[in-house]
Amino acid sequence: MTNEELITYFDEQLFLPDLKATSKDELFEEIVDQFVKIKYLKNREILLDMLRRREQLGSTGIGKNVAIPHGRTTSASDVMIAFGKSKQGIEYNSVDNKPVNLVFMIIAPPQDENNIYLPILGKMVEILNKSKTRSKLMEAETYEEFIDIILKG
Amino acid sequence: MEKSQLELLVALQDLDMMIEEISEVKRLGFSAEREEELRKAREELANKIKKPLVYSYEKLKKRYKRAIVPVGEDNTCLGCFIKLPTSLSSIGRTDAEVIYCEGCGRILYWLS
Ligand SMILES: [Zn+2]
Repeated sequence: MTNEELITYFDEQLFLPDLKATSKDELFEEIVDQFVKIKYLKNREILLDMLRRREQLGSTGIGKNVAIPHGRTTSASDVMIAFGKSKQGIEYNSVDNKPVNLVFMIIAPPQDENNIYLPILGKMVEILNKSKTRSKLMEAETYEEFIDIILKG
Repeated sequence: MEKSQLELLVALQDLDMMIEEISEVKRLGFSAEREEELRKAREELANKIKKPLVYSYEKLKKRYKRAIVPVGEDNTCLGCFIKLPTSLSSIGRTDAEVIYCEGCGRILYWLS
C-alpha cells in the first residue's frame, strides 16, 4: 500500500476540518450523517451500530490524540475514509485516556477488491505514528493541504 | 424506532465479520481485547431475530460465507448477478423486509 494508493480512498466531501462533537457518540453521529448525506449509504443506524460494537471490543482511540474507528459493513459499497479534526478535543476513552483531535473513520464493504481494507488500516496507523505528521494534520485547513500531508506522511 | 428483522440480520453479519478479523486488527496494533464481550453481544443480537431467520442466515453463511448480499444500482443481485424484479426494489430499499434472491437464495440488501 503506497501513499499514492491510499489517497484515492479519501473524498473531499468526507473532509471535516471543524468537528462540533465533544463526545464519541456525537462524533460518530456527525461523521455518519455526512456519509448518509453524500449517499455513500442510506441507513445511518446500521453503520452507527457497527461502530459502537467495535468500541465494545476495544477502543479505536489509538493514543496520541488520534482515533481510527473502523469496520466492515454489509451496507457499504466501497472502502471509504472520512477525516475529521477537532480543535477542542473529543472525550473518546482512548488507550492513553487523552482526548482525540484527529479522526480517521475507515468503512469497508464485506468483500473489497484486492482485499485492501486491512492494508489501509495498517498504513494509516503507520502514518499517524509520526508526530510530525500529526502536528501537520492539526494545521491543515484545506483538503489540498490535507492530501499533501498524507502523500508525504 | 424498532429495528426491522432485516436490519438486525445485517447487524449480525457486520458483527460476524468483525469477529472474523479480530486477530488481524490486533496485529495492526489496535486494541481488541474484549472478544468474549463481543461474542456475548452477538448471541444477544441473534436472540432478537426470529429463529427461522437465524437458521437460514447460518445455513447461507455456511454455504456462501456471506448470507446477505448487496443489490447493485441496476437492481442486480451482486452475489449471482441475476436481474431482480423491479417490483422488489421499492420494498427492498426501505430495509423493512427480508427478501431472498430467487437466483441464489441469499438475503438481499439494497445499498441505495
Ligand atoms: Zn442472487
